[in-house]
Amino acid sequence: MKGDILLEVEGLAKRFGGVQAVADLSFHVREGEILGMIGPNGSGKTTTFNMITGFYPPDRGRVRFAGRDITGLPPYEVCGCGICRTFQVAKPFRELTVIRNVMTGTLLRHPDPALAETRAEEVLRAVGLAERAQMQAGSLTTIDQRRLEVARALGTAPRLLLLDETMAGLNPTEVAEAMRLIASLRDQGLTVVVVEHVMRAVMSLSDRIVVLDQGTKIAEGNPREISSDPRVIQAYLGAEYQRA
Amino acid sequence: MKAAGSPEYYLPAGILLFLIVLPFLLPNPFYVHIVVMMAVFVVLGGAWNLIGGYGGQLSLGHAAFFGTGAYVSTLLVNAYGISPWITMWLGGLAALLLSLPVGIICFRLQGPYFAIATIGLAETLRLLVLHFRDITSGAQGLTVPFRGDAPWLLQFGSKIPYYYIALIMAVGVVLITRRMERARLGHYLVAIGQNQDAAEALGINSARAKARALALSAFVTGVAGVFYAQYTYVIHPDSVFGLGLSIQIALVAIVGGVGTTMGPVLGAVIMEFFIQSTQIIFAGQYPGLELMVYGGLLVAVILWRPRGVIPWFARLYQGLVARLPAAGGARA
Repeated sequence: MKGDILLEVEGLAKRFGGVQAVADLSFHVREGEILGMIGPNGSGKTTTFNMITGFYPPDRGRVRFAGRDITGLPPYEVCGCGICRTFQVAKPFRELTVIRNVMTGTLLRHPDPALAETRAEEVLRAVGLAERAQMQAGSLTTIDQRRLEVARALGTAPRLLLLDETMAGLNPTEVAEAMRLIASLRDQGLTVVVVEHVMRAVMSLSDRIVVLDQGTKIAEGNPREISSDPRVIQAYLGAEYQRA
Repeated sequence: MKAAGSPEYYLPAGILLFLIVLPFLLPNPFYVHIVVMMAVFVVLGGAWNLIGGYGGQLSLGHAAFFGTGAYVSTLLVNAYGISPWITMWLGGLAALLLSLPVGIICFRLQGPYFAIATIGLAETLRLLVLHFRDITSGAQGLTVPFRGDAPWLLQFGSKIPYYYIALIMAVGVVLITRRMERARLGHYLVAIGQNQDAAEALGINSARAKARALALSAFVTGVAGVFYAQYTYVIHPDSVFGLGLSIQIALVAIVGGVGTTMGPVLGAVIMEFFIQSTQIIFAGQYPGLELMVYGGLLVAVILWRPRGVIPWFARLYQGLVARLPAAGGARA
């Protein structure tokens, strides 16, 4: 069920002072797939997201989305093109209600506030937040804040959704719930890239996985190939476990 | 459903009716003058609130837009005899155009740059007006020649017509604020104020949203400047471009409650009441006293009412609505 290439990243690089956060990274995402992106802490996953979505200008390399070069566009234009991301640390509009939070996203495609509100209600139902619509976003639990991040992003009607550690800190039941939600988004035709530490989730969700270590891609393939790849095992567990 | 007889309807209607008959209840023109100035500051505080409150961008130079409106209009009135009813819009437009480069440049950055730039803008304009004496008559200021009762020239023998014009402008600003608050721009500004990164990730061009709010704010402030020039007949660089005025405009919104429709209305009434009272009680014996009043009010608000007096008044008002007899079912 792999479609055409939707996102193509080519030779992306970013340096912060003495740290090469991302070096010469290339990968692509096909329409309708879930691409998992894993790697130890500091391997450049979030930096890659930030470069794709325009929060950091890359030092080198290109980002192409649906055939269009979007390298270096500001975040709001990237979102306008149809890429929306969530943040590793949820950034809700704390003092606003949940529905107002999501409306901020839906207003992008529906400038009329009444229409935007109706659309926001639909999105809230889809992520299971409908009963919390009138609550203040700052008072939500961790899982509900993650749901809200996803809901706001979905509100912008993206073609590609970038999820940055949506499952971090969730208990196993909540992880299962989040996985169901992400899988259902893919089934509705959305393309998703997930950065995740919860290995079980990435392995069972993803169609393909890209593994980063110290800013470079060390492996790419389907979940089975990745879990038996010696370079991946070395990056995660250290060289001495490789032969164990 | 709310019935037409519920206090939710007749209370605001009653307040509006009171405001309409108010000038005839006041014992002398001086009191009318005070309420005219209150209305002017409702307009100014309300305009400031669009960018300073909803947009969260502290302007300490709104006098730049006020003075631009006042000077552009008065120069046009005096040079070409154009009616102030027309120059009112031109003054507002000039202030709007002035705001564009400020917004476009400053809102690319986050931080105190906008506040500093606005102070600089107002001071620069004040000095330019002082310098180009041939056109602006410098420190002497400009006067609007008195023509007596000439409605077409926005001049009236009595203060009462000015009061009604100011009242219409004040109500207009409240309506503009409500409209913006409910439109996409209002939603965007509030979201940007809460978390700019998250807002940008959702497709919001935060610089453009702020620049739009500033343009609207500058336009309204410029129109108010034209009205002020017509009302007082004389404008000086210090009175219309001064830092004191800029601060007073900001304080009106801050004391009342930023980011709310009615906050600047309350702020204007309270500030003007305190300032005029101290002037009446001490009758100019202690120069600079009104500055101490500004300072005292600001400290009091920041210490005890950081969201302004509006939440307190809102509760009062809601309580009143709930307690008043209703012909239909009043909503809580």
